Amino acid sequence: MREFYAAAPIPIRDDLAAAHGRAWARIGKPGTWWTGEARVAIADETRRAPSCALCRARKEALSPAAVAGAHDRIGELSAAVVEVVHRVATDPGRLAERWFRDILAAGLMAEEYVEAIGVVAHTVAIDTFARGLGLDPLPLPQSRPGSPSRRRPVGAKAGPAWVPWLEPGEAGAGELYGTSRPPNIMKAMSLVPDEVASFFDLVAHQYQPAAAMRDFSREYRAISHAQIELLAARVSALNRCLY
Amino acid sequence: MLLRASGLTQARAYDLAAVIGGVEGGGAPHGRLLVEFAEAVLGEDDARLARARADLGAAVGSAGLVDAAAVAGLFNAIDRVADATGIPLEEQKAQASADFRAALSLDRFAVAARE
Repeated sequence: MREFYAAAPIPIRDDLAAAHGRAWARIGKPGTWWTGEARVAIADETRRAPSCALCRARKEALSPAAVAGAHDRIGELSAAVVEVVHRVATDPGRLAERWFRDILAAGLMAEEYVEAIGVVAHTVAIDTFARGLGLDPLPLPQSRPGSPSRRRPVGAKAGPAWVPWLEPGEAGAGELYGTSRPPNIMKAMSLVPDEVASFFDLVAHQYQPAAAMRDFSREYRAISHAQIELLAARVSALNRCLY
Repeated sequence: MLLRASGLTQARAYDLAAVIGGVEGGGAPHGRLLVEFAEAVLGEDDARLARARADLGAAVGSAGLVDAAAVAGLFNAIDRVADATGIPLEEQKAQASADFRAALSLDRFAVAARE
């Protein structure tokens, strides 16, 4: 997958290019709750959301709920999925639990919701990286045939998040977390463990491996811990994300 | 929180107001350029981004620029995971960050989102 960035005007770390290759190919494969075709469609909608007229109007409104209308959309994804993808892509800082409950009431399963969030997140991570470097967005991955596995972790339960999650000690948690005590951001998508594993592969290569995050005795990247954290914190503030 | 931890281990006090754009760079090396790059990447002004990219690349080199773009991309995504799943801030992190969250009025983000 290194060929993704072979023509880039500046060298991209091999480990980073390989991680993007794994993540991008995986978007096209059948997931846990969505087919490969649907996952690619979710990635496509993620890219189109910023130019959606409804999303632009909502983003400028005092409250997104005050603006009614239909999303500019393509493909066969349901209206509820398109609403999720567009809102998460364009206005994540103003999502509310009531909105999430309305999405479930519209017929989307929490498991489907979480996997859709995973695809949006992977797409945003890779596309924002490309934008930062002035690279063309990667071509959408080819979708692969096959059925979703529909495997729900037995131990997943309701907790303090909107979505059910897998706590350490529950069935299946050991495979996902190992012996570590996971932060809430790692548990966030644990209703669909494959999304967690894949996203944290990106975390390790786009940000830092877990062991490096708090090891201030040396630098692991070409910019320092302080520079990384300043950049990360400014991005999160711009996104109005408290976490 | 890791920005402050980084400063403590290096006996440097970074001005966390840089996180909300309150000061230029907060004392981190090339902080002003990093903040400008973050704002440009998340914005829609391509000319501003081109300038920010060139300035940051000149300061930190091509490998540093790649790492900066990678971090910006990752956090632009991870924020969406956090917000869309409604995860709470861990109690330990909430206590450790209470002072600067109050000083920078960061809790307004959570209040607005949960209304």
